[in-house]
Amino acid sequence: MPLNRRTVLKQFLYMSAGMALLPACLQHHAKSSMLLKHIAIDGDQEKTLAELSETIIPATTTPGAKDVSAHLFVLTMVDDCFTKADRDRWQAGFAAFEKMSNDLNGKNYLSSTPQQREALLTKLETVKDEKDDAAWFYQATKRLTIRCYTSSKFYLTKVQVYELVPSRYKGCVPYKPAARKVA
Amino acid sequence: MGNTKETRTFDAIVIGSGISGGWAAKEFTEKGLKTLVLERGRDVQHLKDYPTTNKYPWEFEHRGDITADVKEANPVVSRCYAFREDAMHFFVKDTEHPYVQDKPFDWIRGYQVGGKSLLWARQTQRWSDFDFEGPARDGFAVDWPIRYKDIAPWYSHVEKFAGISGNKDGLPNLPDGEFLPPLELSCVENYFKDFVSKNYKDRNVIYARCAHLTEPQPIHLEQGRGQCQKRNLCQRGCPFGGYFSSNSSTLPWAQRTGNLTMRPHSVVHSIIYDEQKGKATGVRVVDTQSKEMIEYYANVIFVNAAAVNTNIILLNSTSHRFPNGLGNDSGVLGKYFAFHNYRGHISAEYDGFKDSTTDGRTPTSAYLPRFRNVVKQETDFLRGYAAGFSSGRGKNMHTEGFGKTLKENLFNPETTGWYVGSHMMGETIPKESNKLTLDASKKDEWGIPLLHLDIAYDDNDEKMLKDFFEQMTEMYTKAGFTNIKTGDSKQAPGLDIHEMGGVRMGNDPKTSMLNKWNQLHACKNVFVTDGACMTSTSTQNPSLTYMALTARAVDYAVTQLKKNEL
Repeated sequence: MPLNRRTVLKQFLYMSAGMALLPACLQHHAKSSMLLKHIAIDGDQEKTLAELSETIIPATTTPGAKDVSAHLFVLTMVDDCFTKADRDRWQAGFAAFEKMSNDLNGKNYLSSTPQQREALLTKLETVKDEKDDAAWFYQATKRLTIRCYTSSKFYLTKVQVYELVPSRYKGCVPYKPAARKVA
Repeated sequence: MGNTKETRTFDAIVIGSGISGGWAAKEFTEKGLKTLVLERGRDVQHLKDYPTTNKYPWEFEHRGDITADVKEANPVVSRCYAFREDAMHFFVKDTEHPYVQDKPFDWIRGYQVGGKSLLWARQTQRWSDFDFEGPARDGFAVDWPIRYKDIAPWYSHVEKFAGISGNKDGLPNLPDGEFLPPLELSCVENYFKDFVSKNYKDRNVIYARCAHLTEPQPIHLEQGRGQCQKRNLCQRGCPFGGYFSSNSSTLPWAQRTGNLTMRPHSVVHSIIYDEQKGKATGVRVVDTQSKEMIEYYANVIFVNAAAVNTNIILLNSTSHRFPNGLGNDSGVLGKYFAFHNYRGHISAEYDGFKDSTTDGRTPTSAYLPRFRNVVKQETDFLRGYAAGFSSGRGKNMHTEGFGKTLKENLFNPETTGWYVGSHMMGETIPKESNKLTLDASKKDEWGIPLLHLDIAYDDNDEKMLKDFFEQMTEMYTKAGFTNIKTGDSKQAPGLDIHEMGGVRMGNDPKTSMLNKWNQLHACKNVFVTDGACMTSTSTQNPSLTYMALTARAVDYAVTQLKKNEL
């Protein structure tokens, strides 16, 4: 249960913060469900990430990114494994991403319709400028979403099966292309 | 453990519980000697202390990655390929035991019961006389005091117990051993093997011998070990005991004799030399938990602390008789330190065998034994290199776009063609200038002077690297491999994790530390049988040779003890 430590800490901090600081109703944004060490994310941003990951890998007849909590994995990895420079850029890119959403759709990502979200991502996919922070944020988030999804329990037990104990090695067997899987 | 002198007295003391210390413990206890094994790290029990061994990829918080904070705090160990989320608890963090790099040296350590035997790459190739005779023939270091015939029976002895998978290849430069059946090579590996033997009269590609139980024998089952399950998660510790480690094999075996006392959390400060008796009487240990210094006594002491730490212990064991370190009359202690040159790698693709693939996973690969300068000198550099050779087909995921199209692509990764790759394992020439010394004033938290490492590549290494690229590129090209890419990792010495020397063997006490029995010339009841004893490095992964030298030296030491000669 990798997130337990964070959850417990979060609850502890909620209690002390709740007693010492403001009533919850005065807080502008809901809090993130995770306690992060380096980056600051509020509850709306967390929801935005969840929706972004779901647009990248949507639930169909099979689970989507939200079902495997890809957005929480993105936050864990950015917070724990990115260098400071990359963390800063990811956060700046997040803001640039929201600005781009406002410029294109007149609203932030969370309030956008599925069509508007897709229009934004279609635009981001075409950005070639490596200096573009919004595109960098998008690609980094997408990469982590894909990594989480393709290493999730669902994917590794139902799609491409990971064998913990193969018990065999055959050096030369006929190659049979796998039948195309419906996603 | 009581605290009288009597309860602190044993027949034998073994410093270190890694691959060679484990063997010393097994051999001594089997021969009936009450043996104390001192381990500076914590205890790691087989099965019980492998916390990640049965985890699935999704159970790792960072999916295997090391966090930025850990990397920043530990730049040295973070460069090791196996320092990942699943095995990082078996590595020493940089801050836990600092040292001074006069020149860059990545010192990779495993301080726990079992040491690095939990983490090793498990390759086990024998040496031949082409290796032992190298220094004498080519005029470097000193002559080895032993030849292949001296160690051959001991290779057999350790191979049978450890369990070595291999093929009888009949090569004079890589003698056959006591082998369990080999696993298969892939079709491309077999193709390259045939290609090389047809096109080069003196080059061979073989199945790389490895310490895996492909077909356990009664002696392995008796150890509680079972067949290798091809998990390739060895660095986590193997719940099947499928590969050889001190934890799964020699240490529990020694424990069962009733003669073993294992003391973790014990940093050896120095060896006690008795000026009157003219021999060592015991060791001074710093308990890492209480920081208390305690003395232990024995008739014979084996130093198996791993090459660098063995040097530190001897350098720090000063006395009136040995002001420059125990047994160091010659002044060579800490010098002629060497390693393996692992800088070169090469990769390519192969367009054939599109109708074939592999199934399952293999813990080993193919291997090209050294072919340069074997019988005679033929290049502008001394000695040569061995190389790994592996192949496989990968999965290529198309990640363009988003939404249902992307998801469809993730569900259907494309199988690539065959890739092939090799890495270089080059012999380095031990030199007086490659040395370990102790700091004159700064000490670590156990009161031991800080280590200085002054080790570097030389011109011979650079020439050999160039030749590796040229020869491998030629073989790859002729074999029809395409998209050939060579790379120099430029890694610092040490990252090969094959530290050797500093306490070298030799015939002459004036130029070496140890005699042909791994016994200090000048202090006969102290033996060194880990990497520190190596006179030269050759190209083979060295652990098997340490194991054989250890078993051989224990046999000799016990014979001498019985004759009252120690």
